[in-house]
Amino acid sequence: MSTSTIRTAQAEVDRPAARPGAAVTIRGAEKVFSLGRGRTLQALAEVDLEIAEGEFVAIIGPSGCGKSTVLRLAAGLDTPTNGAIEVFGDDPHRLAKQHRLGVAFQEHALLPWASVRANIALPFQVAGRRVDKARVDELIQLVGLVGFEDARPKQLSGGMRQRASIARALALSPDLLLLDEPFGALDAVTRRRMNAELARIWGEEKITTILVTHDVDEALILADRVVVMTGRPGRIRKIAKVDFPRPRGFETTRSPEFHDLVDELTALLDQVEGVDD
Amino acid sequence: MTAAARPGTAALFGIGGALLVVVAAQLVGQFQLAGRAWPPLTDVLAYVTTPAGSGLLLRNGLVTLTAAAQGLLLGVVVAVFGAALALVVPMLRPGFERFAAILNAFPTIALAPLLITTAGREDTPMVIAALSVGFVMFVTMTSGFANVPAAHSDVLTVLGSSRVQRLVRLELPRAVPSFFDGLTLSAPAAILGATIGEWFGAPKGLGLLLVSAMQNYQMPLLWSAALVATALSLAAYIVFVQFQRIAVRRFG
Repeated sequence: MSTSTIRTAQAEVDRPAARPGAAVTIRGAEKVFSLGRGRTLQALAEVDLEIAEGEFVAIIGPSGCGKSTVLRLAAGLDTPTNGAIEVFGDDPHRLAKQHRLGVAFQEHALLPWASVRANIALPFQVAGRRVDKARVDELIQLVGLVGFEDARPKQLSGGMRQRASIARALALSPDLLLLDEPFGALDAVTRRRMNAELARIWGEEKITTILVTHDVDEALILADRVVVMTGRPGRIRKIAKVDFPRPRGFETTRSPEFHDLVDELTALLDQVEGVDD
Repeated sequence: MTAAARPGTAALFGIGGALLVVVAAQLVGQFQLAGRAWPPLTDVLAYVTTPAGSGLLLRNGLVTLTAAAQGLLLGVVVAVFGAALALVVPMLRPGFERFAAILNAFPTIALAPLLITTAGREDTPMVIAALSVGFVMFVTMTSGFANVPAAHSDVLTVLGSSRVQRLVRLELPRAVPSFFDGLTLSAPAAILGATIGEWFGAPKGLGLLLVSAMQNYQMPLLWSAALVATALSLAAYIVFVQFQRIAVRRFG
């Protein structure tokens, strides 16, 4: 973990307020949902995961394996039934209260009555800060929505909405970025471009990021570590370290090492899905 | 629902139905099927078009319209504020809901004498209009506020929103279509409430015309006052339905 220590040191220089060490600590987290009439559904079983500050972690797994639940725990939207979760050494929802959290949800969750610009400006307003127009414009440009600033979500394609949602998550330069399959609705070309953009943003800002995805390539292009989860109840099957040099361009994705890792993780996912069925 | 699927057919049915009612009303009056108290529609319209008749109806119609509009405004403001307060301070909600239900269960006829002694003859129509509006608006706004999608609520939570920001940025805009839904129901209720309020000794208004025409057996006047009240009520409904359509398009 020498690379991540160096990165942590850099992050400390950038943000002196943040604590060193782990950004997200999940210890023995279980999540059981009540379905009513005494029936329950166990979404997570004993998940242990530590994410260093400035680290990019991707979580992959079959659908319904509790990937999103992990994200919701980190966001403070759910609490674990058993076990504990700490974000920057504190209760997860404390981070949200301090306006240091960015989340892009699976369903874009843009406000339908507000324009793209107004949606991206929302975090500033909610935080009671003056809207940084230059930052909003920069984000619009970043996610390729120039010319659509005044469009409302229903006038946009699915991919555009997703991009606006990512821009909203980035608006306040959060300390923790949670992405729940944000590129799921995008076509392959846009998806690759968004991956490259996200890698670039992450390279610049070193935001601690958790990405939930079902795309192994995407996980390997972006993440420092890839967490493979099993089917319900969700457990961590394997944590793979990804050491490819950044930026991970075509040389990386075409390399045999990359393909080996893709094959290995895909095989693991297939196995996991087989068990689930 | 097949009629609604084709707007042309639906409109045709609507016009046809209205025509049938008008013709039936005319015939019942013409042949005195319901006695002398039901004049032919043409007699009512003839009275409305006389200078004296139209002047009287216009003057009193405006009084009722004003009382209804004031009542609508008062009822809407109180109800929206109450619903928002019940949302932000959940402790207040059961109490507010019960209070609104009890107020609504009170027949206005029973409240009117009480109001005349407290609010006075002049203001009673406005207060009764406000009471008729208040309950409907409170209920529609409460359900409008409750209708916020979980995903949007999550967005505000992860952004660290305060309760007031959540109200301003999410719940209020989200409830705008419900607000106009409530207005389409409230506006006719306000006209009706104001008219009833005028029965109990208001110095002017359509309600007063109705009572005095009834007591003096002036059937054309009675019917034309009712006609004006109905027309006002319908017009208010149609106007607010247009607003509601715009609101649904903008905020839906």
